[in-house]
Amino acid sequence: MELDKKDYDLVIVGAGPAALSAALYTSREDIDTLLFEKGAIGGLAAVTDWVDNYPGFAKGVAGLELSDAMQAQAERFGAKIELGEVSKISKEGNLIKLETTSGQITAKAVLIATGSEYRKIGVPGEMEYYARGVHYCATCDGAFYRDKRLVVVGGGNSAAQEGIFLTRFASHIDMLVRRDRLTCSDVLEKELANHKDKLTIHYNTTTDEIVGENGHVTKVLGTDKITGKKVEFSTDGVFVFVGLDPTTKFLEGSGVELDERGFVKSDTRLMTNVPGIFVAGDVRSGATLQIASATGEGATAALMIREYLEHHENMSTATVATLYGDG
Amino acid sequence: MAKNITIFTTNTCSYCGMVKRFLDMKGQSNQVVNLDEVPERRQEAIEVSGGALTVPITVVTKQDDTKHVVIGYNLAQLAPAIS
Repeated sequence: MELDKKDYDLVIVGAGPAALSAALYTSREDIDTLLFEKGAIGGLAAVTDWVDNYPGFAKGVAGLELSDAMQAQAERFGAKIELGEVSKISKEGNLIKLETTSGQITAKAVLIATGSEYRKIGVPGEMEYYARGVHYCATCDGAFYRDKRLVVVGGGNSAAQEGIFLTRFASHIDMLVRRDRLTCSDVLEKELANHKDKLTIHYNTTTDEIVGENGHVTKVLGTDKITGKKVEFSTDGVFVFVGLDPTTKFLEGSGVELDERGFVKSDTRLMTNVPGIFVAGDVRSGATLQIASATGEGATAALMIREYLEHHENMSTATVATLYGDG
Repeated sequence: MAKNITIFTTNTCSYCGMVKRFLDMKGQSNQVVNLDEVPERRQEAIEVSGGALTVPITVVTKQDDTKHVVIGYNLAQLAPAIS
């Protein structure tokens, strides 16, 4: 898809809550803002069934509804969202060059807000049965398992929330938790207890292999970590929620510094070690992985970017280095 | 341009909306089949995708009537399929 122009004040990579919040602020201030999103607008929030902890919604809000509202609000002030992918970023003088599915573009500043994606467990059968019995999005694929048995892998907030959602469809769910306890919030743990008739939690249980016959998943093999014995769960499908990995592959060769887990490092201004490249939301090292935090970080980043852009005009590379450090 | 495009979706699938938005932006007319509203077509979606139990499933019928099926929200496959 061709863009109508190639030079922007700000390009935001991602269109989740942090990105949309930043775009709302920058667009309102007439900062020419383009967002690139390769997945769902709204990010993981958009594929979350229900959000109970975002301020302003006393009764909670559907993730998709919240995302749609954030998108509409950013677009109302002129933010443009391009469905496509950024594959490479490089700093050239005072400008930042981006290789994208819509061609090469430049920006005075870039905000990395790519968030994170659901982690794979990396066991035999996981990739073989991807979308044919192994899934990472309950709101997308849960309806295919009406009156079927399911396995949910994981014990954190996503696993608990999506497991509860899947009880609408499944006849029974076995939830396999590697640790001796859940790591989700107390509220979700109590909610899980309300679904005991349909959902059984197996603690200290690893997921070792996903097995199928004739192209369909039939069982999950695991290990009881206490007894060391192999365990087996008959199932029609597996939903995996074992944590998040930051979406940073496109930063290879950019010079942007990552932490040991692959999240993007930043200073107190939410700027990376590369002047002009900022970061906000789940992809940032130290992020709390909450929608409310992400929108707050997006607003903060927008204000810092505005300040950076005010200094940017007619700045030499040396001046940028003096004002903002050179990494 | 494709001859016609069908997107199998559900009410709660946000990636389905992304597919529709992408096709609309490309000026490609498309027909949405919401499997929550017409569950009797669920088997058709599973069969056309070769057994995939997921949405979105996008079926692109080209001018020569060949079909290209894109499973999930995958712009890398969808963009060339409609070109």
